[in-house]
Amino acid sequence: MKKIVILLLIFMFSMTLSSCKKTNYEVPFILYDEEDLFMMSFRDSIFTNNSSDITFRMYDSTDSQIIQNEIINGVLKDSPKLIIVNPVDRLGAYTIIEKSKLTDTPIIFINREPLETDLLSWDKVYYVGAKPEQSAIFQAELVMELFGGNPNDLNHYDLNGDGKIQCIILKGQEGHQDAEIRTEAVVNEMEENGYDLDILKIESADFRTSVAFDLMNELLPIYRDQIEVIFSNNDAMAIGAINALIEDGFFADDNLDGKVDSNTINWIPVVGIDGIEEAIQLIEDGYLYGTVINDSESMAKAVIELSNAIFNDREPDTISYTIELGKYIWIDYEKYSQPIVED
Amino acid sequence: MKTFKEFSIKQNIIIAMMTIMISVILLSSVSYYFIFNSSMNDIVESGSKEINKQIIFNYENYINDVLNTARQIQQDTIEYDMATSEAELQDIYNKSVKVNENTISIVLLGLDGNIILSSNNVAVQNTYLEEKDWFENALLDYSIFYFSSPHQQNVFRDSNANVISVSKVISYILNGEKQNAVLLIDISTETIVNLSDHTNLGEGGHIVILNDDDSLVYSSISSCYSDTCESITIAKEIIIGGSYVTVDGIKMYASVNTLNATRWRIATFSNVEILNSSRTNMFLILSLIMVVTITVVFYFANIITRRITSPLNKLNKHMLEIQENGVSYSPLEVEGQKEIIILSNAFNNMISEIRILMERVLREQKEKRKTEFIALQTQINPHFLYNTLDSIIWLSENNLNEQVVEMIVALSKYFRISISKGKTIITAKEELEHARSYLLIQKIRYSSKFDYSFVVDENIYDVKAVKLILQPLIENAIYHGISGDEDGIIIIRAYKKEELMVFEVENNGYGLTDSQIDGIYDNMKSEINNTSIGLKNVYQRLKLYYGEKANLEIISELDEKTIVKLTYPLKAKVK
Repeated sequence: MKKIVILLLIFMFSMTLSSCKKTNYEVPFILYDEEDLFMMSFRDSIFTNNSSDITFRMYDSTDSQIIQNEIINGVLKDSPKLIIVNPVDRLGAYTIIEKSKLTDTPIIFINREPLETDLLSWDKVYYVGAKPEQSAIFQAELVMELFGGNPNDLNHYDLNGDGKIQCIILKGQEGHQDAEIRTEAVVNEMEENGYDLDILKIESADFRTSVAFDLMNELLPIYRDQIEVIFSNNDAMAIGAINALIEDGFFADDNLDGKVDSNTINWIPVVGIDGIEEAIQLIEDGYLYGTVINDSESMAKAVIELSNAIFNDREPDTISYTIELGKYIWIDYEKYSQPIVED
Repeated sequence: MKTFKEFSIKQNIIIAMMTIMISVILLSSVSYYFIFNSSMNDIVESGSKEINKQIIFNYENYINDVLNTARQIQQDTIEYDMATSEAELQDIYNKSVKVNENTISIVLLGLDGNIILSSNNVAVQNTYLEEKDWFENALLDYSIFYFSSPHQQNVFRDSNANVISVSKVISYILNGEKQNAVLLIDISTETIVNLSDHTNLGEGGHIVILNDDDSLVYSSISSCYSDTCESITIAKEIIIGGSYVTVDGIKMYASVNTLNATRWRIATFSNVEILNSSRTNMFLILSLIMVVTITVVFYFANIITRRITSPLNKLNKHMLEIQENGVSYSPLEVEGQKEIIILSNAFNNMISEIRILMERVLREQKEKRKTEFIALQTQINPHFLYNTLDSIIWLSENNLNEQVVEMIVALSKYFRISISKGKTIITAKEELEHARSYLLIQKIRYSSKFDYSFVVDENIYDVKAVKLILQPLIENAIYHGISGDEDGIIIIRAYKKEELMVFEVENNGYGLTDSQIDGIYDNMKSEINNTSIGLKNVYQRLKLYYGEKANLEIISELDEKTIVKLTYPLKAKVK
């Protein structure tokens, strides 16, 4: 009788204690926001390009650092071999590093670059992403190409012929590193190459299509006749701007073939960054002048390769991507635009 | 340790019931307690996290306001050329200070530390900017706004008010050229204090804000004023996340999170003593339930066992009484369960049966003694001895020496077998020998008025026989079966028939009528002693020694013969 009681107790305890052990083949992949268009395509690239043993398990931080902190606390309890984090707040990344040190879990940060001091604080932290300056430089180059490539002799896209380029800059979220850098770098690049930019307005549209649409509706009555180019920190805002412009009568599809001609008078060059699918389609159809593709596929491949190296305890520098400072894998942007027709 | 067999029924039942009940209650209580505990933990934990989120949300809103102002100034600064439009910028700076009540001053400093532009209220004092972390840190990373810890800004003005310095390297235009400068916005700490006042963290609950080097930025309690205070240490250990901790002996849930756009972390400590008290309450309630249940179970177990054991105890007591005082018929009256009543009835029956048996044994013993006494009498029948000795005297007086010898030899044999060293069981051969001696003596005494013969199956010689069962029958045959007018013949037969040993004594006297035979039988079986002792004695001894299967039968044909037939089982166990 006593033996039965003891057996029962042991059974009970073993039931409560035996928490199911998770397979360590899972690598937690913590996105900052699953609804971000670029992150969507990046996530898809991860899944389509992954042929390794490990599986990536996606977590969505819904653009909240608090939720991301909770997710990280949760996944670290299962002692994964590494975690991949797309930080919501780059300034908060140091806490993630400190937390991971406790369990000795390597981290690959992606897409949003933590402070260099934080990255250098531990040797098991990596960053895979693109240099935000590069996207801005490429964006500037696209515009320079469009205006003929000679700052002293602007072509017919200089509508008023004053030798200056009148522009509107749609800035991303205020305080966002990408927004700040892209805005600053695109202006710098243009000016360094001798182009005279006449910035009509720099306004934040929070990286969002709808905000950009509303903003453009506000700005168009004021600047309608002056705008010669619209720089957008990302494609989503560029699309919003194009929608507003279409409503205002720009981009008229004269022959109704679903495409517009860049050489008509009511065509305004808009340049974005990211290279999301919709933007590519708009370029094909003649609306959007160009974009700088944030190469989600290359980035996904780099992340997968680096993950496998860490996962299998191989030296990270054995992979096919260059690792700068033992930390950074830089993915190059790509320019993509409508063909420029010389007349 | 006692094994279960050594316990009484009562103890066994109580132990079994208590063990079952206690283990069931214990098991359910423990599991309930743990489930309650964990869900209580979850509730408190998620509640604390919610509060933490709310607080962070409030702080982030505030910080966003500050940042928006700062960015606006950053944007405005680059739009004007300092050489030509300083007045406009000055105006913007002044307005910003006025509009934002938290903003104390706005200063633009060159990287060399000289003031380029500042809001009106700033009076230059001294400039050891290298020692100011807001200056140094702003230069470390151009991309971020640096938030300092609350400090007394004594660089620019005479004031003891604590401020937080927000600084960043920004660009300004001087003569069309882009230059770098440090933008410094001092904001009052008032809002941070106010925000912490309006929190719902319970008694002793508090907020601490840490910088990225785990130094104290702000604490809402006075007891935590240095980087080494308990709350800071806890927040340092947690890094980010939540956990149950004890601060100043109070149970708290500590939740640490980052504060967006800053390098700060905010740790909220919410009082969760309710967890302890509810846990204690639950423990008390469960214990109470347990104690009550155990008492009730014990009480009922007692009643049930008493109902079972009290009649058993009564029975037991009755048995002990019988053991001490012997069987006395007073039937046991027991009330209780069916089985117990059956048991006590059976016991009563057994006792009365024993009583009957004992009485029978007593009677039989008495009877046996009596018959043996008579048999003893027969062994040394003095009349027979006198008569025989008289006959011997008479024979010797008549010089019938041969007969004298014959007689004495027969007598000697007769007595030797009669006595047989006190044995009661002898062989059939000896019994027949005894009968023969007796017949020989009687024949000489009765001057050959009768004759006798033996028809004996030699196989029966070794069969055991009760001593002196033939002699009384022969004596009867001589006295009653010999008629005067013709020669009497006595035939003794001994043989086996099936499993029975048979002795027959036959005489050819007048015979007996059926009613006479019935009379003899009645006499034989009755317990009253009367004159016809011989037959009765033989009959009773047969029954005593051989039991029911032994028999004495009288077969008679009037004027022809009378046979007295003794039968007893060959294999009988002599009692």
